[in-house]
Formats: sequence, structure tokens, C-alpha cells
Amino acid sequence: MLRHPRYVDEEKCIACGACAEKCPKKVIDTYNAGLVKRKAIYVEYPQAVPLKYSIDPETCIYLQKGKCGVCQKKCPVDAVDFEQKPKTVNLNVGSVILAPGFEPFSPAGLENYQYSSHPNVITSMEFERILSASGPTTGHVVRPSDNAEPKRIAWFQCVGSRDLNRCDNAYCSSVCCMYAIKEAVIAKEHVGEDLDCSIFYMDMRTHGKEFERFYDAAENRSGVNFIRSRVHTVTPIPDSDDLELRYVTEQGELKTEIFNMIVLSVGLQTSPELIKLAEKLDIDLTEGHFAKTGTFTPVETSRPGIYACGAFQGPKDIPQSVVDSSAASAAAGELLAEQRNTQVKERELPPETDVSGERPKIGVFICQCGVNIAGVVDVPKVVEYASNLPYVEFASDKLFACSQDAQDNMAELIREKGLNRIVVAACTPKTHEPLFQETLTDAGLNKYLFEMTNIRNQDSWVHKNNPELATEKAKDLVRMAVSKVALQEALKETELQVHPSAMVVGGGIAGMAAAKSFADQGYETHLVEKSGQLGGQARNIFHTAKGESVGEKLNEMIQAVDSSNRIHVHLNTELTNVEGFVGNFESVLSSNGSEQTVEHGVAVIATGAEAYKPDEYGYGKDERIMTSLELDKKLMDDDPALNNLNSAAFIQCVGSREPGRMYCSRVCCTHSVENALALKKRNPDMNVYVLYRDVRTYGEKEYLYRDARQAGVIFIRYDLDNKPVVKTGGDKITIGVTDHVLQMPVELEVDLVNLATAVIPYGDEKLANFFKVPMNEDGFFIEKHAKLGPSEFSTDGVYLCGLAHYPKPIDESIAQAKAAVSRAVTLLAQEKVFSSGTIAQVDQQLCAACGVCVSICPYSAPSFAEEGRFAGKAEINPALCKGCGLCVASCRSGAIHLKGFDTDQIFSQIFELDAAI
Amino acid sequence: MSENEPKILSFLCNWCSYGAADLAGVSRMEYPTNIRVIRIPCTGRMSPKFILAGLRRGADAVWVSG
Amino acid sequence: MASNKIGSVMVVGGGIAGMQSALDLADSGYYVYLVEKGPSIGGAMAQLDKTFPTNDCAM
Repeated sequence: MLRHPRYVDEEKCIACGACAEKCPKKVIDTYNAGLVKRKAIYVEYPQAVPLKYSIDPETCIYLQKGKCGVCQKKCPVDAVDFEQKPKTVNLNVGSVILAPGFEPFSPAGLENYQYSSHPNVITSMEFERILSASGPTTGHVVRPSDNAEPKRIAWFQCVGSRDLNRCDNAYCSSVCCMYAIKEAVIAKEHVGEDLDCSIFYMDMRTHGKEFERFYDAAENRSGVNFIRSRVHTVTPIPDSDDLELRYVTEQGELKTEIFNMIVLSVGLQTSPELIKLAEKLDIDLTEGHFAKTGTFTPVETSRPGIYACGAFQGPKDIPQSVVDSSAASAAAGELLAEQRNTQVKERELPPETDVSGERPKIGVFICQCGVNIAGVVDVPKVVEYASNLPYVEFASDKLFACSQDAQDNMAELIREKGLNRIVVAACTPKTHEPLFQETLTDAGLNKYLFEMTNIRNQDSWVHKNNPELATEKAKDLVRMAVSKVALQEALKETELQVHPSAMVVGGGIAGMAAAKSFADQGYETHLVEKSGQLGGQARNIFHTAKGESVGEKLNEMIQAVDSSNRIHVHLNTELTNVEGFVGNFESVLSSNGSEQTVEHGVAVIATGAEAYKPDEYGYGKDERIMTSLELDKKLMDDDPALNNLNSAAFIQCVGSREPGRMYCSRVCCTHSVENALALKKRNPDMNVYVLYRDVRTYGEKEYLYRDARQAGVIFIRYDLDNKPVVKTGGDKITIGVTDHVLQMPVELEVDLVNLATAVIPYGDEKLANFFKVPMNEDGFFIEKHAKLGPSEFSTDGVYLCGLAHYPKPIDESIAQAKAAVSRAVTLLAQEKVFSSGTIAQVDQQLCAACGVCVSICPYSAPSFAEEGRFAGKAEINPALCKGCGLCVASCRSGAIHLKGFDTDQIFSQIFELDAAI
Repeated sequence: MSENEPKILSFLCNWCSYGAADLAGVSRMEYPTNIRVIRIPCTGRMSPKFILAGLRRGADAVWVSG
Repeated sequence: MASNKIGSVMVVGGGIAGMQSALDLADSGYYVYLVEKGPSIGGAMAQLDKTFPTNDCAM
């Protein structure tokens, strides 16, 4: 591995920006998608991690020509080091996870869209930066040519996707429909309702969770125009910066319209460097140059021990990337389980000094932050002021309080002078509090005997033209912090043992995959299934989208689960009660009247979903009308009746994407296209029709759609307000539908009708109550965070995967199962959890047992004590309390204290205003 | 604080507004110096007593944000 | 041959996927080398303005 030099010493750089201010070289800012310029010495963006400057060697004048070096002269901490050389680093690792991402498709070669020649044709990534408050226009929607606010913006979908004529990407990039809608809606929010946003598309693919509702709201509430057409020509209008679009509507009408600006919804692709890397690593890629993985091993590459996740595994959105990446961690964990904790080191800590009962001896450290604070605030004056405040034993300044030497010195002073409270006046506690607290711990002081006050971000930086008042403000802030910390006491973090076992509810594909992964990582697992057999819905499925036989793989999985001595399978079993909390759940399992209590540290909900049983389209009246799973059964059984078919029709969106069930079931388009191909394969002369609303074969499933069209499957689009009509009773089944190309009603006569029915969640309220987890209006469970916590709940220790979360194909279910396990193992591996010290505590002598706290807490932390001297009074479970203080503020008896933010502490800060005001 | 400006006491939620105030600094925005911030864990922590105490202690305005 | 395994993992790419993998592994008791070719982590998501469905700032 080659480590490139940064030319800036990370240990020294304080990110003050003096270097970039003076750097004479301006270069294109790639972070802002090339819309503006930055300097050759730079941080990518103000929130970058690490927040350390680096020099771009390709553009730096010194590194290119040996002259300049301005940044080196300007740097106050001498961090610039032109002598850094690339270093080769050799690593020995047990496993490799590839998450190298994608590159946006470059539309530079598509001449008909004028991207290279017209400033007002931009990519979606560029538009994203224009929308951003941190972008070049600070979020004002303006077009590049004249910085004027546009009145009409057009989005072109599938640029660099689903296209073999103008690029080589036959796949669907999966994310562009949704981001285009988002951009259009936000643009309208920024500019106003009058902004005309039109999205030109082929199929609108909003197959993600809650996406369909967003699409519906964009069209019907925000007024975004959706036009089903591919624009063929864009012509700049002379003497203006506008563009003329020519396109043919679905009805065959040629239209010409003028727009002020065009956004190209560019697809995702694997960069050429990555393709080379894959070759070097000897891992197979798919036709679309993504890492090749199997449906039942969704993150394993063709080379053992190397896993792939994110957009390198296939074009996908953020939640799916997050799922995959946790899944890849679980896969690596399964491989390396016996080596867990062999390479990591435990830190050794000194014993904690007991300071209770001692008079406060406060140490105050004022940071200069180079010139960042000292350049505005008169630091020596503040130090002098601080040293005269009550209880202050010692005050001094530090050039950089966060530097290693300053930390060591601080720890030494704590021990030497017997300081028992510390105040640091520096930058923000949000980034630096943990660092200073660690220093306290190292010095044997309880880490909560600490207060940080912000004299940089909220003082010197925002009052640079007012040094005198900024100094006064710094004094006030220090005084407030000193008065608060004097009242601070040592806080305990409650230690909770984690029971090293898991319970998985649901024995389908997702549940089994989760149980298997837990077991492979060394954890006892209870797998609870309400029916008499494992396998769930997968038992009814014929083939995967990649052509693997589901039955075969499913049997292998069931065998593996059955033979694992760490997995306890409970069939015909239901959960009848759950008590406890993270690390310590106690669940009652009931089977045929007998009950059993099981202890477990974590729980995974994998209860699945079922297929909608339709009452429309003549279902139940004619046995030739069947659901997708019923057709799968016939295909699995190789039913001879299938040999006598001359024609068949698939009706899509049966029960999905309708009022009352406003979600896409995600799997049905691929499933139908796959089975249409299977029928065609049995009998190539057969007429096969697919009646659809949008074909949603996202990602590389698009190839199936392409293959189906090539095989002669006929796709006919219908609208929600003009559904197909099925007539039975005759020799053949007749379907009346309006053909979208001919604009005429047609009648299809077929021997078989397949209804692609919705995936319906069970909406199990009882289970939701057991684990205190929420469900959405459709009955799917709601994850912790739509993007960043897709496989876990807000309730600690409870995780989620499979169809119970949202409809998804087998590979995604397995990935999510592994992801849920990965998240759970981060907890199990710690063996114990610590509650935060800053939590609420009840003074039960004062408690009136009114119950306000019990009812108001969003985390169910307070409850009434059941036994002991204070039975009936409130008590707070430290494992559940998040320290928000809601109960404290609403307690009428003043009986609840919030440690670290107690009422007297806040009052002491308010009272210190006196001197200021 | 300066003589003619209203004196503002503010309570900012650690998770949002306090972070926003930090970002104002990172973005090198400027605003008057006559504001003092008390960081609270959540605006749920706010009690009317804090507002009254602030006003009694001479603040002209109390700003709660979260 | 189990003893030949090493309890560390290299994660290539410091975008949202790489970061999530690295965090999960580190919290599970494995040493992680997170490798990123650019000067900071964050990847493409850091360039996005807001994300669906809460329209939270992507940062």
C-alpha cells in the first residue's frame, strides 16, 4: 500500500487557515463539483475529518517548481513539510473490506445535451452543491451563466444509466429518480412555489421505504411536473442563456419547450482505477463492473476473505450502503471470530481519587488556540481574572490546550496541586470535551468534574472586530463555568453486564441468516418461529434474480441452522412477554401451552411479511388467475399445465402504490420479468405480456428487463385511474387495457394471469409493545434512522431486518440480517455497557408519585418502584435514561435531579450574569 | 456588555442550536457580543424558572433554542 | 489452520460504507486500518445537500 504525503504535519496543524488565505494558487474545487475555486493548500470542507490541511502536489507551485513556500512561512505552528515522501506501508490483515464507492457518470461526451458547451446544463452533483448552504451560492438557487434565479428547471433522468447507445451502462443506477425528486422539491422550497420543476423520465423508480409517498407528495402537493419522455435535442437559444428542449410525448406528440437551466441526473459507475484494482486483487466483476456477489452471500466477493459493500457492490442508495457495510463487517467477524480482541489493546487507567467532601480546588486553563483566540481575546487578562475567582486554585494559558504536551502538563498539575475541578476555556465541547475528560481520567480525577466553555467558536471567531468586548465575554464565560463546576460532583456510570446471547424473532431467510451469523461469531442464539418449519416466504420462491435456485440454498441454510450447536430453534413458538432492557432481556416463549423464560442480551426482529390476497382482477373465480407465489409453485413443481399455455399476462402493482397502501413492494417487477422469461424459455412462441405502471428493475436487475424485451415479452403500461379489466368465463381470459403507445383500448386473450401482489407486513402491535419499537402507517417497523441506522431500533439492544422493515429481495434481506447482527455484536463484544453519568435521578423523599415523569419520558426510563421503602415512588432506570432533562423540568416536586446539569448549576450560571449585566 | 444593546441570555440545546452557534464561528460570521450562552442537554430541560431568573438578574431578553 | 488468522481488517474507502464497516469492526474487537485516497473521510455523502426523508443536512 502506498501512503501519499499530505505535506502538512497532522500532529501540528491546527486548521487555522492562515496558509490557505495566503496561498497564491487557485485550483478547481472538486468538493463543490468544480463550481468554484479553492487553494492548492486546503481542507475539503469546514467539517472535514480530520480537520487538517493538505497540499495538492499536482497544483502546488512549490512542489511543482520549487519556488513559493508562502504557506510554510505563514504557518504559526510550523506544520508545512515539503520534505514528506510517499511511504510504502505493508499491512498484514485477516480480512479486507472494499468500500471504494463510485464515480458520477460524466456527461461531457453527450453532445446532444450541451453539457460541455453550455454553462446552464449541469449535473445533479453540481446542483446538489448549488442547493447547499455550504456551497458556492450559499444555497441560493441560481444558474451559472448569469447568477439569475431560474424560473424553469428541467431534470433529465437516466443520463449514463439504462443506456447502451451513448454509454456502456446498461444497468439502472437506482438512486437518480429519488434524488431528482428531492432536488426538485428542495429547489421549490428555496425559490418559491412558482419555480417550474419538470422531471423527464422513462420509469419513475421510487422503490425505497417511504419513497412512493414522497413521489406522490412531490407531484400532488409540491407541484413537480413528471413527464414520461426522453428529450432528444437541446438547443441553446441565441441571445439568451436559455435552452430549448424537443421531445416526443408518450402520445406521440412533438413538443418544444424553453427552460432556464437543465440538471442531468447522472448515474453511478465504477471508476477505471477501481476496475484495475479489482483485476489486481483478482476479484470478479459483473457486466456493469460492480463486485460480483451471490444472492445468499451478498457481500462476499469471488475471493475468500475479501468483502465488498457500498456502491462498489452495485449501484445503491445510502441506507442500502450502510446495510451492506455492516453486513461486510459481520462477514469479516464470522471469519475472524476466534481472533477477536487479539490485536486491540486495553488502556490501563489509574485509580480514581475520591474528592467528595473536599473544598473545590479549581484549575482553569485558557487556550490561545494559536492566534485563533489570542488574536482577539486578551488571554493573559482572562487568566489573571480567572485566578481571582472563588475556589480557583490555579489558572494558566496554553498555546494549544489540546496538544499532547499541554495535556501531559495538565495531568501533572492536577496531581501536583491536588486540583479537584477543571475548567477549560477553548473551542467547543462538542468536539473536545471527550479529549479533556480523558486527561482527567488519566490523572485519576472523575471525568465529570469538568466544565468546558467556548471562547473560540462562540467568542473570538464571531467578534473579531471587537476585541475588548470579546475579552469581557470570555471573562463572563469563564466565571459562569467556574461557578458551575464548583457545584459539580463526581458521577458514576452504571455498569451493566451484557448477557452474551441473542434472540431472533422469525425463522425466515432473514432470521436464519441472523441466527447463523450470531452463532458463527460465538454467541448463543434463540431462534423463535411461530410456524412449524423454518424458511418463511422463501419456501414459496422459485429462483433469485441472479438465477439461483432458492429451494436448494434454503435447504442448505436450514441444515446449517439445525446443525449449529449454538442455535436453539423454537418452532411453533410465540413470544408472550418481554421484560428488561439492553443487555438483559427476559422473554417468555410459549409453545403448545408450555412456557419457557429465556435470557438474552439483544433481540433481532425478523418477523417478515406475507403476500397480499387480492379480491380484484377475478382472483378466486378462475384457477388460471394466480398470484406470483402460486405461479412460482407451478414452476417449482414443473407443473405440466404450464406446457399447454399459448399466452400469459402479468399484472403489476396489485395492491401496491395505491391510496391506503402507498408504497412500492420493490420485488414484484423483477419477479414478474424473471417469470415472464421463464415462461418464454419453456415456450418461445408464447405471447407474454407484462401490464405495468413503472418497470422497477433497479440496479443490475435491469438486465432482466432488457433480456425480456429481447425475448419478445410485450410490456404495456397502464395508469392507476385506468386499470386493466379482467373477464373470465370464456375459453380464454380476456384482459382489456389501453395501450400506451397506440392510445387505443386493446383486448388480450390469455391462458394464464399472474397477479404481482403486494408485500403486506403483519403489523404485530404486541411485538412492537414488547420491545417498545414503533411501526409506520403501513405496519412496517420504523428503524432508528432512515439513512444511518437502517437495521436497528432507537431502543437500545433491539435490531431489525428483512421484510418486517420493508419489502426486499433475498440478497437484501440477508445483508440486512447480517447488518443487524453486526450492530448487535458491537454491543455484545463489549460484554458490559455503561450508562452515561449525566442522567436523571429521583430524590424519593420528595417524590409525590404523581406519575408525570413516567408518562412524559420518551424513553420509558422512569417507573414506579415496586418494592422497598419507596414503593410507589418514581425511580429512573439509568440504562434507559438519555439525560434530556424533560422529567426534571416537569417534576412538580423538584424531586428529580439531572446530574451534570442540575438546577442549582444552571441557576449558578444565570446568577453569574449579575456581574456581566 | 455594551450600554445600548439589549442584553440577551440564551439557552441552547446541545444537539442542535449549540452546534449551530459553533458553525457560525466556523463560518466566521459576526454578531454583537451582548449574548451569553448556557448549554443545556435538551430544551426539555428548560424550566420557566430559568427564564424568570434570567430576567430578574437583568437580562432584557431570554432566548431558548432547540 | 485457525491460528493463522489475524484479528485485524483493512477497509478500503472512507465514504459512508467504509466508515460504517470500520466502526462496526472496531467496536466488535478488531483492529481496523481505514484506507482513503483523499485527505479526509466522508465520501460522496458529504457533498450532498440534504437527504430524504427528513431533509436533514447530509453532513
